Amino acid sequence: MAHLSESELKVFIAAVSNYFGQLTNEAAVIRSSYLADAELPHFDYTGLITLSGRFRGCVYFSAPRLLMRELLLQMQEPDTCEQNLLDAVGEVANTISGNARRHFGSGLDISVPVAIKGATAQIKSAVRTRPFAILLSWQKHEAVVVVDIEPVN
Amino acid sequence: MKLLIVDDSNIIRSRIARIALHPRLPEITIVGLAKNGLEAIELSRRAPPDVVTMDLTMPEMDGIACIAALMAEKPQLNILVVSALGDKATAIAALKKGARGFLHKPFTDEQLVDALLEIQC
Repeated sequence: MAHLSESELKVFIAAVSNYFGQLTNEAAVIRSSYLADAELPHFDYTGLITLSGRFRGCVYFSAPRLLMRELLLQMQEPDTCEQNLLDAVGEVANTISGNARRHFGSGLDISVPVAIKGATAQIKSAVRTRPFAILLSWQKHEAVVVVDIEPVN
Repeated sequence: MKLLIVDDSNIIRSRIARIALHPRLPEITIVGLAKNGLEAIELSRRAPPDVVTMDLTMPEMDGIACIAALMAEKPQLNILVVSALGDKATAIAALKKGARGFLHKPFTDEQLVDALLEIQC
């Protein structure tokens, strides 16, 4: 866990759990957190935030279509078109990363989200050989948050 | 009350527009939906709002710069920041530029209604 402590990783765990709990009254259940290998976990839709400032790297949230569709419906958004699914996955990533600034401070500069469908070359480790993966479930659907950040010396 | 909603997420713009119809709020007319700061300034000149909900992390022009520009044109404007950025320094920076309130994402319908009522007091 060099450069990122367990308590710092818990900041992201709390942020993703809180996101679902606050919006839908059903918090996400954290299944496991582990060091990912070269092939990073991902699902149908991925929202990716690039970090700069006192930290570098990226954070992404990835979820299957069914989870994103259900999330939109619970937000009372009946239009579950492709564009809205992508928008929503980007917003989840943005919110998790933004909330993390409560712990890391304003030195953690976050980009606007990039929303991705499917597997692309953009889903790869940015700074860590083995990024942290937080596997969660919500409404019987699995999703993942990948935290790939390091402080800038 | 005339409301301008500024957020780069279509989902969030739609959600805020829906919550703005909440019965606890006074009658609200949505005068614009902007996806960045530049659009917000343009829309506010075309149809001046009384209240603005403002995201901070946006492309083209971010929320802090937009708040400064809007307040320079209409100092009595009520701006509620609605942002995921959770650090105190960002909240203070927004309030210094003239925002009247700060609501953290994720938010519930009731939290947004309360925040909109508060900034109108």
